[in-house]
Amino acid sequence: MALTRESLREFLGGKTRANFDQVGDDDELFSSGLIDSFVMVDLMSLLEKQTGARIAPEDLMSLDTVQQILDFSASKQR
Amino acid sequence: MASSSSSDERPGIVVIGTPRSGTTLLRRILDAHSAISSPPETYLLSGAARFLHEERFAAGLRIGVISGLAFAGFEEGDVLDRLRTFVFGFLNEHARAQGKPRWAEKTAFDAFHLPAIRRLCQGHVRFVCVKRHGLDVACSMADLVEKTGGYVQELHQYLQRTPEPLAALAHAWVDSARAVEQLAQEDPQAISLGYEELVQAPEETVRRVLEQLDEPWEEGLVERALGDAGRLGFGDWKTYGRAAIDDSSVGRWTALPGPTAQRLATICNPTLEALGYEPIPLSSEEVSEQDARRSYEFGLMLNRMKAKG
Repeated sequence: MALTRESLREFLGGKTRANFDQVGDDDELFSSGLIDSFVMVDLMSLLEKQTGARIAPEDLMSLDTVQQILDFSASKQR
Repeated sequence: MASSSSSDERPGIVVIGTPRSGTTLLRRILDAHSAISSPPETYLLSGAARFLHEERFAAGLRIGVISGLAFAGFEEGDVLDRLRTFVFGFLNEHARAQGKPRWAEKTAFDAFHLPAIRRLCQGHVRFVCVKRHGLDVACSMADLVEKTGGYVQELHQYLQRTPEPLAALAHAWVDSARAVEQLAQEDPQAISLGYEELVQAPEETVRRVLEQLDEPWEEGLVERALGDAGRLGFGDWKTYGRAAIDDSSVGRWTALPGPTAQRLATICNPTLEALGYEPIPLSSEEVSEQDARRSYEFGLMLNRMKAKG
């Protein structure tokens, strides 16, 4: 099942102390420091488990915003 | 209350809590009160506790100064009275020099010496017991260690138990927090407060504490405490750099990596519950070897990406 915007925001909000209701879909997450590498690792694990797809190193550059993550999830649905 | 520990017949105050629980902040606020003198950390009570240190062997004999002096004809009560007079004497004299009738003593690591401190002081002082969420304490103590470059003697036994520093600090919190809570429960004169309420509702909390200490609230007390550079000495360096109370560190543990928080939760949850905090939900998922390896690979990928800029 594709990751939803709501579940993604809930996941990220639970992992950090940021209020993800105030984070825009196109706001940078990892490159801005809003989420750290530990949260990023957990996020990548979640994405692989949900989509069944293997994340390649070159995919990382495209997983820096809520919208990019949702697009990746949708594109990899089984 | 037994014999006076203060020059004005009002019992001295001992602020006790696990380190990093807001005890320095409370000390500074009390010191700003016109009737209370609270110097920076004196280590008087932990020093007295070390004086009273004893070991017990299989035959039940306690070996230390109390039993040693008992053989010389000095009763325990007499020894404790003399030690108390000696210790309180410094605090009384200091308070008089400040022109104040009452003293308050606070040294952060006293919480690790509570049995002996209670033996000396209970019934002669008013204890003010401060608690704070254990994982926040562990995070804050880790900051302290990084700042000071080492672990105080009271923490050594915990580091010898585990190679994980945060886990060691969590264990230290469990022991000291339980000792403080036991005191709060057993001493009907003890006053209890939490770090969280102190930093989120300082005036309301301090008013309550002062009322229980039979001291009047003074307008502007908290502002005065933070505005005053205060007397130099040992204590939490952070409070000296702040002109206002900052509650942003409440819940700081939530920024810990998930596995770390889970590890600390297994150590702290029973005590968190006993102190009235919500236990941290534990993940029922076992992390497989395969998942652990994949997480490690992700970490390497992220590092490589960061290195490339």
